[in-house]
Amino acid sequence: MKILLTGLLLSVSLFANAQDYKEPSKESQEYGVYRSKVTIPPYGLPKVKAMVSGLELEGDNDYNETAALTAKAWNALSFREKFTYCMIHGENFSQNCDASPPVQDEQKKVFGQLPSAFGEFSWSDRQLKFFNDNQDSVLALIRESVNRSKRVGVNYKEAIVAMNAVEMIPFLEEVYLKDKKDHDILTIFLLLMKENKYAPFLSSVSYKKLYGNDSDYGTYIDFNSANEALILQRVNDFYKNYKK
Amino acid sequence: MIRYLLIIASLLGSMHTTAQQPAFVTIPAARYVVGDSNSINNPIRTIVLDSFQISATEITNEQFAAFVQATGYITDAERRHDAMVFEPGLPEYKWIKDSTASWRFPNGRSRGDITEKMNHPVTTISYRDAVAFCEWAGYRLPTLDEWEVAARAGSRTRYFWGNNRDEIKRYANLWYGRDHLTADSSDGFMYTAPVGSFAPNPWGLYDVYGNVFEFCQGHAKFDKPGSKVVHARGGSWWCSKNSCNYFNSVDIGTVHPHASFSNQGFRVVR
Repeated sequence: MKILLTGLLLSVSLFANAQDYKEPSKESQEYGVYRSKVTIPPYGLPKVKAMVSGLELEGDNDYNETAALTAKAWNALSFREKFTYCMIHGENFSQNCDASPPVQDEQKKVFGQLPSAFGEFSWSDRQLKFFNDNQDSVLALIRESVNRSKRVGVNYKEAIVAMNAVEMIPFLEEVYLKDKKDHDILTIFLLLMKENKYAPFLSSVSYKKLYGNDSDYGTYIDFNSANEALILQRVNDFYKNYKK
Repeated sequence: MIRYLLIIASLLGSMHTTAQQPAFVTIPAARYVVGDSNSINNPIRTIVLDSFQISATEITNEQFAAFVQATGYITDAERRHDAMVFEPGLPEYKWIKDSTASWRFPNGRSRGDITEKMNHPVTTISYRDAVAFCEWAGYRLPTLDEWEVAARAGSRTRYFWGNNRDEIKRYANLWYGRDHLTADSSDGFMYTAPVGSFAPNPWGLYDVYGNVFEFCQGHAKFDKPGSKVVHARGGSWWCSKNSCNYFNSVDIGTVHPHASFSNQGFRVVR
């Protein structure tokens, strides 16, 4: 009888718990897709795309032997073609864990980290060196592209953070304020302040929450007008006082 | 209740193992609850599984060496020279591409070989390599659901003991440093540990949340149509609570089928 009761209770609790899962709202799901979208630059795109598809897939059942262009093929690309190549393809593999799985009400959050731009791939040392060696020119192309498409793809965001491109703050703020939709631009500001050890931010409550001892790569703060104003005020103060 | 008695009975059965054969735990046919009410990638649901046997430990270097010796198999990392390795001092999620790394030199030749690590899990192998081993040995990789059922050991919580992450030190070889800039051997191991060095789950599986991520077969709910990515679950010596925090029964990782990482291995099913 006791076993029967336990079984009955177990079934009831299974049923109850199975009802607990809440499908995220359409708005949340759409925002998740929006966050993970890359911007595809137009420079030499057909040529570069063909090269990348030759790297990634070979027939229906197997990948090619390498995920990276040969040195010869890389060196033969123009500067703009290299930019396009880097912005649509990472040459290295990414490890198994995805730092930012989707969450409920994604549009109501400001995350401490950006989503991954290329899923199972990431930029190689050669690609990161290309960004750093050509920072001014790369940023000029990003601005040109953002002005054209009216959005900052996650690949551009990752590149800006990788280059520690503090000089992009005014431009990004201008883009953000147009519709205040892309909260990952605020995340760029947070990451730039963190990277440059901006003292007023490091001592803040939001820093502790986003990057403190209990944080992980999915940690966020709520998106609300107070948090938004605070991030913008801090990043502007940081930018004003920033010395390279 | 009856299901748990069956499992305990099966665990009390013979768990004979040899250096080249893992011990197996029998998981009975039943309805199981998997997933989590807060997970979008792995939502809570009830599934029905046939009985299967899953290895109590991850496949070791010794077991993989027997396969290579018998078949002359060449791994992806040996063929492609694109394994990703780790050394302390790297920023979060940053790995080094090392053309000298393979299962014999899991973090590259300059960082040592496996001569003294034959009872550690094999690493720096790809999904393709794991499948090749299974085909030779007459095993297969667990499905995503089989892995989860075996890891949960009847629990409904994030970890098989409950929801308190702090208890994990008893069960898993992980990274306990705040970041990966300085070496962390606070649990006795910086890289892999011999399989079974930590306490098992209640059903007798070792290292489900640590040591190495474990390849699983099958597609996840969130895979794009036609996607060729593969999945691994559990956790690894690299994983920390401040990075992806994936070492639990719920999360599902994604990786390229030819990627070889030194925190990536597998256990098998028969």
